[in-house]
Amino acid sequence: MSAALIKVSQAKKVYQMGEERVFALKGVDLEIQQGEFVAIMGSSGSGKSTMMNLLGCLDIASEGSIALDGIELANLTKNELATIRNQRIGFVFQQFNLLPRTTALDNVTLPLLYSQVPESHWSARAKQCLEKVGLGNRLYHHPSQLSGGQQQRVAIARALVNEPVMILADEPTGALDTQTGLEVMALFQQLNQQGKTIILVTHEPDIAEFASRKLTFRDGALIADERNPQPRLASDGLGQ
Amino acid sequence: MKLFILLKTATTALRVNLLRSFLTMLGIIIGVAAVIIMVAMGAGAQQKVDEQIKSLGGNVFFVTGSFRASGGARASSVVKINEDDANLIEKQVPGVESAAPYLSANGQVIYGNLNWSTEISGIDNRYFVVRDWPIATGREFSTQEINSGAKVAIIGERIRQELFGVSEALGQTIRVKNFNVTVVGVLAAKGQDARGEDQDDVLFLPIKTVRNKITGIDSTNPKSVRFIQVSAYDGEDMDYIETEMTRLLRQRMRIPVNGDDMFRIRNVSEMIATRAETMQVFNTLLAWVASVSLVVGGIGIMNIMLVSVTERTREIGLRMAVGAKPADILTQFLIESIVLCGLGGAIGVVIAYLFVFLGNNYGIGAGGVIDSDVVLLSLGFSAFIGVFFGYYPALKASRLEPIDALRYE
Repeated sequence: MSAALIKVSQAKKVYQMGEERVFALKGVDLEIQQGEFVAIMGSSGSGKSTMMNLLGCLDIASEGSIALDGIELANLTKNELATIRNQRIGFVFQQFNLLPRTTALDNVTLPLLYSQVPESHWSARAKQCLEKVGLGNRLYHHPSQLSGGQQQRVAIARALVNEPVMILADEPTGALDTQTGLEVMALFQQLNQQGKTIILVTHEPDIAEFASRKLTFRDGALIADERNPQPRLASDGLGQ
Repeated sequence: MKLFILLKTATTALRVNLLRSFLTMLGIIIGVAAVIIMVAMGAGAQQKVDEQIKSLGGNVFFVTGSFRASGGARASSVVKINEDDANLIEKQVPGVESAAPYLSANGQVIYGNLNWSTEISGIDNRYFVVRDWPIATGREFSTQEINSGAKVAIIGERIRQELFGVSEALGQTIRVKNFNVTVVGVLAAKGQDARGEDQDDVLFLPIKTVRNKITGIDSTNPKSVRFIQVSAYDGEDMDYIETEMTRLLRQRMRIPVNGDDMFRIRNVSEMIATRAETMQVFNTLLAWVASVSLVVGGIGIMNIMLVSVTERTREIGLRMAVGAKPADILTQFLIESIVLCGLGGAIGVVIAYLFVFLGNNYGIGAGGVIDSDVVLLSLGFSAFIGVFFGYYPALKASRLEPIDALRYE
């Protein structure tokens, strides 16, 4: 068996709130394999966002170890973390976080700006990713000219452009209506079938059912790890 | 390559708040324009002074007679200096190039049915040496004409224009007061003097002619003149020459050791230079004040960059999430600030050029001379302000934590 994509052992995160030390994560052990579609569930304050930040290299664990793609994250500098985010992780956010007054193409090109990819390849790669999410005909639209679903798809194209090993999505359907949410989930499932590892943070049980594995957090601990061999297909709900 | 993208990002960001960017730039625009204009005015004034000194004919003294002092009270009679004084100064004072006696009166000159009121001056050829004033057409006075007090005239360009227009002046006879003179020479145009008077509005006759026909002979001092204009060779010590002339004249006038001078020696180039220096000090002061306004403009830049960093915290967070390193963020905001200042500086330069151009050609604003060094210096300085005042906001942006920045509301 190949090594796990993500290996978390006894990861803890402590915040200092004045005099008090608050444990956001109280020692989590976790392994995620390449090609999995994982949903991280939990109510607010459960530690799921903290887990997400640690997996996304946006934050460093206070204790314990997290290895991504065989690289131990604990001792990396800010610059090294930035490079890992750039090369191996694609982010999708609830509020899309697109640059306003900037074309879809330029928004998707953004991660390439900070990569080693030669400039001559940028435009072609960004176009390719936009085509993959079905926005080949919206290259030069600004976010304000796109619907919520289209904006989220631009964000997904942006997450894909550096060919990361995994996509981290933080409540990606939170700002969308049910129908567009389904569209976005169908896109995730399609990407997962093509081999992308997808980690999804959500508090909606409906959304979690599209994943092949469900991790539930409560009070800073992982309390359930369920496999779902037959996930619902988001594309089924689209026809109606 | 990447610089182009960074510039594009910066201009996009500045375009989003066009009015705000412009108002911020205004501080730099005004500062740069003010510095350049002030320095240009200073340089223009300096150039004018140099021209004036040059039109005087280099290093020149005026020697005039003064009131005779008797026991503290001033007598009404004025001591006159004369042609012999001029000759002696020229011969005996080392470093003196020439000493030219000058006698003058006002009067009308008439040619045909045209008349013109002007200064009628009696001189000899030394005057043209002292003034460094070439004859454009015709000739100087001959020795014979000077000694005999001949009725010949050399006229300034202004008079030539007024009386003769396009027709030939040489050989024509004009009436001066109540006698006729023949024009033998026309002087090259010299323009205005330090006081703005037209130096070409002058008619020269041999000194003896003026004395015999116009001013009359002073019986006590038959060779008296109004003043002697003395020129020194280039690089001579003017103070030394002044001392020597004073000594010589005191000796000639038999003034006792503790007696007051009965003559005045004025070093004209020095007077103009001193006046120019005062003006220069004033201009330098203004240029400093203007640079202070540049610094104030810089503070405006810093203020707006801080606002911009705060407003765009989420953007910074996003850029960091997709892989921007702290240095990338720092560069981005620094370039934005430099673009803001550089653009402001460039506009300031254009405005300064326009202002000085209008001043030089239409008398609106202030005339002057723009030195390309000053332009480069102020552009460089405004770019420096961009870096200096942009650095702290940019550093603040680069030090943000990605998670905090992403969550910022």
